[in-house]
Amino acid sequence: MPRTYQPGDTFTHVRECDRYRPIYYAGASGDYNPIHIDPEAGSAAGLQGNILQGLCTLGWVVEAIAGFVEDPGRVRRVKARFSRPVRPEDTITFQGRVTAVQDGRLTAEVSATNQRGEDVLKGAIVEAFIG
Amino acid sequence: MALDKQFIGREYGPYHYTLGEEKMREFTLAVGGAKPGAGTPGEPPAHVSPLLYDAQVAKAGPHGGLIAFPSFAVVFAIRPFSAAIVDPALNINMQMLVHGEQDLEFLDVMRPGDVMTTTGRIADLYERARMGFVIVTSESRNQHGTLVVKGTWTAIIRG
Repeated sequence: MPRTYQPGDTFTHVRECDRYRPIYYAGASGDYNPIHIDPEAGSAAGLQGNILQGLCTLGWVVEAIAGFVEDPGRVRRVKARFSRPVRPEDTITFQGRVTAVQDGRLTAEVSATNQRGEDVLKGAIVEAFIG
Repeated sequence: MALDKQFIGREYGPYHYTLGEEKMREFTLAVGGAKPGAGTPGEPPAHVSPLLYDAQVAKAGPHGGLIAFPSFAVVFAIRPFSAAIVDPALNINMQMLVHGEQDLEFLDVMRPGDVMTTTGRIADLYERARMGFVIVTSESRNQHGTLVVKGTWTAIIRG
């Protein structure tokens, strides 16, 4: 039996930004902006140290929905505003809630909060094929 | 931050990018939390789908072979956005720039060897609350001409 999805269904994904994750992500993505890989450069830009690339956080949102629909190839869309920096040693909890299921597609809202309960993303939504 | 609306519609690209299997795997595992070392992208954490890194498992899976992590697309689809924000015509102070918002649509899967062609344009420029907003849209097509990735990239220039 294929899994079925209903509005109101929820999913959770937790990721830690370990100390060198911004550097690993820089290597894989090509985003070597000094504010991500050099704590001094981050501080000079008023960020109190280096911060994770927002697109890595967005990748974690993609992981969250890919795990929920059990196939990364089914992910159809991801959208978010970057509202607060993610820093090394932060732990981010992603909580998704399905808002619509129709025509073989689901839409979900996703919140992303750090270990202090602060939102690091706003208005995050994902869509996936479930047909 | 003065942004001249005459540059709305300015186009960037086309840019070409060939997807490599090891690069796809490296990206998947870097996002996924693996610890890379010399000669290896690291051991895949349990939560990472093997459809993204294990060729044998992927071959028997729903896509008949390895696929790219969806937001691997940023590696090439970012190009018009990164060209726009350093475009001398816009005269943006990079030190004051932050990536404010991102929207990515994935219309098909991406596979090793796919050749992606990305074009983009400045969709909007405006000021609000003394901040500047630069909106770039991108479209990436594969070697078959299929539209695979659409992006909307928003930069915010503080003060």
